[in-house]
Amino acid sequence: MVNKDLSITFLGVKFPNPFCLSASPVGNCYDMCAKAYDVGWGGVVFKTIGFFIADEVSPRFDKIGKESTPFIGFKNMEQIAEHPLEDNLRDIRNLKKKYPHQVLIASIMGANEKEWEDLARLATEAGADMLELNFSCPQMTSHAMGSDVGSSPELCQKYCTAVRRGSKLPFMAKMTPNITDMVPVAKACLDGGADGIAAINTVKSICSLDLEKHIGMPIVDGKSSISGYSGKAVKPIALRFMQQLKQAIPDVQISGIGGIETWVDAAEFILLGAKTLQVTTGIMEYGYRIVEDMKNGLMHYMEEQGVDHLEDLVGLANKNIIPAEQLDRDYKVYPSIDLDKCIGCGRCVISCYDGAHQAMEWDKETRKPKCNHDKCVGCLLCGHVCPVGAISKGEIEFKKGRQGNRKKEDIIL
Amino acid sequence: MDNCKYSQPFEEPLSLKTVDEEANRCLLCLDAPCSQDCPAGTDPAKFIRSVRFLNFMGAAETVRENNPLGAICARVCPTERYCQKGCSRSGIDRPIEIGKIQQFVTDYENAHGMKILKKSKANGKKVAIVGAGPAGLTAGATLVKLGYKAEIYEASEKAGGYLRYGIPEYRLSDEIVDSEIKRIEDVGVKIHLGVKVDQKKLDELKANYDAVVLALGSNKGKILPMFEKNAKVVTAVDFLAEIKAKKGAVKLPDQVLVIGGGDVAMDTVTTLKLLGVKQVSDVVYETFEEFKASKKELQGAQKLGVSILDGYIPEKVEGGIVSFKHRYKESRLSIAADLIILAVGQFTDLNGITDLTIEKGEGKDNGKIFLAGDIAHGEKTVVYAVRTGKEVAYKIDNFLEGK
Repeated sequence: MVNKDLSITFLGVKFPNPFCLSASPVGNCYDMCAKAYDVGWGGVVFKTIGFFIADEVSPRFDKIGKESTPFIGFKNMEQIAEHPLEDNLRDIRNLKKKYPHQVLIASIMGANEKEWEDLARLATEAGADMLELNFSCPQMTSHAMGSDVGSSPELCQKYCTAVRRGSKLPFMAKMTPNITDMVPVAKACLDGGADGIAAINTVKSICSLDLEKHIGMPIVDGKSSISGYSGKAVKPIALRFMQQLKQAIPDVQISGIGGIETWVDAAEFILLGAKTLQVTTGIMEYGYRIVEDMKNGLMHYMEEQGVDHLEDLVGLANKNIIPAEQLDRDYKVYPSIDLDKCIGCGRCVISCYDGAHQAMEWDKETRKPKCNHDKCVGCLLCGHVCPVGAISKGEIEFKKGRQGNRKKEDIIL
Repeated sequence: MDNCKYSQPFEEPLSLKTVDEEANRCLLCLDAPCSQDCPAGTDPAKFIRSVRFLNFMGAAETVRENNPLGAICARVCPTERYCQKGCSRSGIDRPIEIGKIQQFVTDYENAHGMKILKKSKANGKKVAIVGAGPAGLTAGATLVKLGYKAEIYEASEKAGGYLRYGIPEYRLSDEIVDSEIKRIEDVGVKIHLGVKVDQKKLDELKANYDAVVLALGSNKGKILPMFEKNAKVVTAVDFLAEIKAKKGAVKLPDQVLVIGGGDVAMDTVTTLKLLGVKQVSDVVYETFEEFKASKKELQGAQKLGVSILDGYIPEKVEGGIVSFKHRYKESRLSIAADLIILAVGQFTDLNGITDLTIEKGEGKDNGKIFLAGDIAHGEKTVVYAVRTGKEVAYKIDNFLEGK
């Protein structure tokens, strides 16, 4: 079996591998975290602890699917830990005793400076390796906590400073995506003493409605609430925030979160600058075992990329995401249709007509498509809808008078 | 004669797209029944999960590290008897097509030039293996993994045994057999071809090696007494071997009678139909309720137009006309054929070896001689040959290392 070193140092702490449970229902007690370590997770962010004890609704989840995929996005109404603070601190102590080489991160949430400072001290005394400041839970029943705090740079900075007073441990601040620009908040946290950033927490959402009762889901005695949305569907949003953070603050260290289920997702977060990765929804659906294929798949990817240290992959893609105004707009790429692969369904023709530029023509007799280059703008919508992958990027054509002295073969497609 | 149907795989392999769909049908269930039902110890739940989560290389490792003939088993294993039998998905519609997913995974492994089989540092001991069929090949690969030098002695011109000379091309191509054998050779197993092992040669092997594996297979077809010396009669074993060697380019008559109802009989009747024989009748000792062959193969044969008559035993033969009577009901039939193929069981040609006695098809280990494959205890299938090939390697390791 392939064997590569997946260890990575993040905020000065060495992780045996970058895969961590995120602060959530999946790391809610000693037994859960112990099982996760046993299965091979490199770290655990223990479910957020605080003086506030959550009082939860029932039921508390919803999901959204598309076509035959039952679970592309997930909505969760749980807040922070529901066990007493002392019990959580005891679990943290015991976990650290049993698993000294795996990383344990205490996620904390206070309602004021004193609580933040006290929680930081208590978690440090319990033996945590690192802290994460939860500035981002979007479904708190108190507006002094959660994403309401995370939208305010001033509050975030103040609470970071308080945490720094309470602990010498490295700590990261966990960001809410329910904000136009995350950068000012992240900068304020770093200014307040945070060593790194965790992003993203869940996106405020209503997943679905009961059409008979006219109530959002899940229904709690005839009502529902807006709450956090996660899973595969939020990955693109999370990746965008990775990029924006790295662009604005190049040396920021990030723990990436948002829809990670496969090694491919993991590699994408790493290439955009994440050093560690946190997972919840994938575990809630499939269990801790998903880490096996994430680790093994990532090792194979490292092998293919010819790198021995995971660190060497971090942030490799950041330089290749640039502002829209800087992209090369001098050429178009026509679709190349593999007629042997084509099964004659005509979906490319439908999408091209109704959603693009009416360039894909249809031969009724042979049931085969043909691209009319006079109309085609090279958007390649056709390739995205083809069910058998018969349409790929083909011939390049420079727009009139735009080639200069460039060659087609130099264009990276 | 049109032989292209014979040489083409019966079913389309899965593509990247369809394997994703099939893996997504998998319920990823707890304590997966599929992973508890493979004689060769395959863990389908694990490799299907890897496919589901896009880790195709990891899936290939899971298959190959456990089974040096993973690409062959993927194609020939009667999965509905083993891994697919308890599939939880049956509670919704039908089991996951585990063999097809395994085939995709091993094809992916080939396409990406992965070399997964490993050998350990040599421990200085060496083992001779007689027979390069599935059991001998598996024993060789496993012994090398444990640090032994393994050399196989094979009587035929090519390695593979029943994989090469028995299983029809449409189920298992020579190309796959070649590439699987090459993997095993690449990892250090040496194969000597065209060496017939008799007692004298066996004595020599015993003297020169620390242990000897006999994986002789049951390489000869049985002939019922009434069919002896009948010019129209051949055994299914000989028939399938000839067809495969000639890639189906054999002239066949219009009326063929097959007697027998096991997997070999199903391979025979299917081959005949794929080669364009008009009338193929298969008379079977067992009734359909007692049938031995896999349901899939049986239905496949019936779909091709083979008439299968169940519950009959042959009474009399005159030239090409065979009369049968039913075992339970008052019914007789008489079938005329230009060719009669017997698929009524196989036996092992010992070639004068006296160190081994075989009773009811099976023998016993004897001193430094160890058995694998058909002549070892267990079912007579490829997957069992893989199992006993692995077992014999560990048995020898225990024997020689005193574990």
